[in-house]
Amino acid sequence: MVVITLQRNKCIGCNYCVEMAPKQFQMSKKDGKSVLLNSTNKKGFFTLKSNQYNILEASENASKACPVKIISVKLV
Amino acid sequence: MQKIELMAPAGNFESLQAALDNGADSIYFGVEQLNMRARASINFTLDDLSEIVKRCNSKNVRTYLTLNTIIYDHDLSIVKTLINKAKEANITAVIAMDQAVIAMAREVGMEVHISTQINITNIETVKFYALFADTMVLSRELSLRQVKKITEQIEKEQIKGPSGKLIEIEIFGHGALCMAVSGKCYMSLHSHNSSANRGACKQNCRKKYTVIDQETGFEMELDNEYIMSPKDLCTIDFLDEIVNAGIKVLKIEGRGRAPEYVAKVIKCYREAIDSIQDGIYNKEEVISWMETLETVYNRGFWSGYYLGQKLGEWSKGSGSHATQKKVYIGKGNHFFPKANIGEFKIEAYNINVGDAILITGPTTGAKELLVEEMMVNDKKLNEGKKGDLVTIKLPFRIRQSDKLYKIVENKVEA
Ligand code: SF4
Repeated sequence: MVVITLQRNKCIGCNYCVEMAPKQFQMSKKDGKSVLLNSTNKKGFFTLKSNQYNILEASENASKACPVKIISVKLV
Repeated sequence: MQKIELMAPAGNFESLQAALDNGADSIYFGVEQLNMRARASINFTLDDLSEIVKRCNSKNVRTYLTLNTIIYDHDLSIVKTLINKAKEANITAVIAMDQAVIAMAREVGMEVHISTQINITNIETVKFYALFADTMVLSRELSLRQVKKITEQIEKEQIKGPSGKLIEIEIFGHGALCMAVSGKCYMSLHSHNSSANRGACKQNCRKKYTVIDQETGFEMELDNEYIMSPKDLCTIDFLDEIVNAGIKVLKIEGRGRAPEYVAKVIKCYREAIDSIQDGIYNKEEVISWMETLETVYNRGFWSGYYLGQKLGEWSKGSGSHATQKKVYIGKGNHFFPKANIGEFKIEAYNINVGDAILITGPTTGAKELLVEEMMVNDKKLNEGKKGDLVTIKLPFRIRQSDKLYKIVENKVEA
């Protein structure tokens, strides 16, 4: 399973994650921060668990591109 | 001589209080992610606006909200929210660089200040922005002579902003200088995807670099390897000339700095401005202010381009050249208001009678004093150790959120 986590409150809204993984991330028009699509929120940590392994590469690129390093991608 | 406004950075409540306690006339701060310190882990939030205004109003201090990053489409609605909330909370003005921010602030009738990133260098540009803004920062590359020409022209042509008052000119007085155009640098974007223009500067210009000839591999020997790291700007030794140039606001840089930095720098510049006003500004005082300024974070000082120098001066080493540093000792535990005694729990190192200590906190700000006597676990002793409860007589109140530090000499490597 691919597990992606976004620590959303630290997002500076730079849009790089969307450039790298537009299927997983979207910028919120409301507060200008990144949204991890289909994720669940636990105390500000937004997590998406998925069995689609084809999202791995793009998500890892997003994680690498994020300047504040708030996206983590794990294989479990 | 016109009275100039001393503008202090406030990155959090500690620094805000330090600015208020030491004589700032105005403070600037950012909320959420749309300011040049978006990276800082402790930015103010929208909910803090009313507390900021409350504290500043009680001292008649103006409040400026910085909204000076580049703005993407997805930011527009949060910009609107921020401006509306700022207006509601009675924030004095918005510091802006993007035309969208300027337009939105004007729409709701908020005062606009033009941020340094717009880089105003001539009177026609001043006239252009006068349609929208009352205060403008001039580009850092102007000399004082050029600044003076602009302020004189404003007076002569009676260039007024939306408020109906003459345009006020602001310049940087103290703090870090950029290698690139202030706040408009791509360097950390190139190396880390981390855009300075989005408040995420990685400061990688502050490092040693070597120049290598790709063909031969020959490494250029450079006298000073910190070729992209300018020293800090310091103007206290010619502040009278700055005041004479007709500026209205002197801005102190440093929203990422510690509260004791804000306390000391603001105190020095406050004294200097007042002494110019009173006609008693002199060399001896300048020397003592410089010594104080050197105790807190700096990369060595130089006087910027104001006096017409041709080239910047580079820092001689990494990190700060401060002559002092703080060492964490413990935290506030209790305050006995009748006796004015503060009790601290010591968590690291020792504290001794004769130590210079620093206490910082969101309400306390940054206060320094000398320990003349103390009680350690209810006994009068000269030394407190880890685990001890130490009480000290204080001229101010402390809180449990306060931190206690010892001030020690900082050995700087040459
Ligand atoms: S890359 Fe990071 S900081 Fe930038 S929008 Fe995405 S999550 Fe936020």
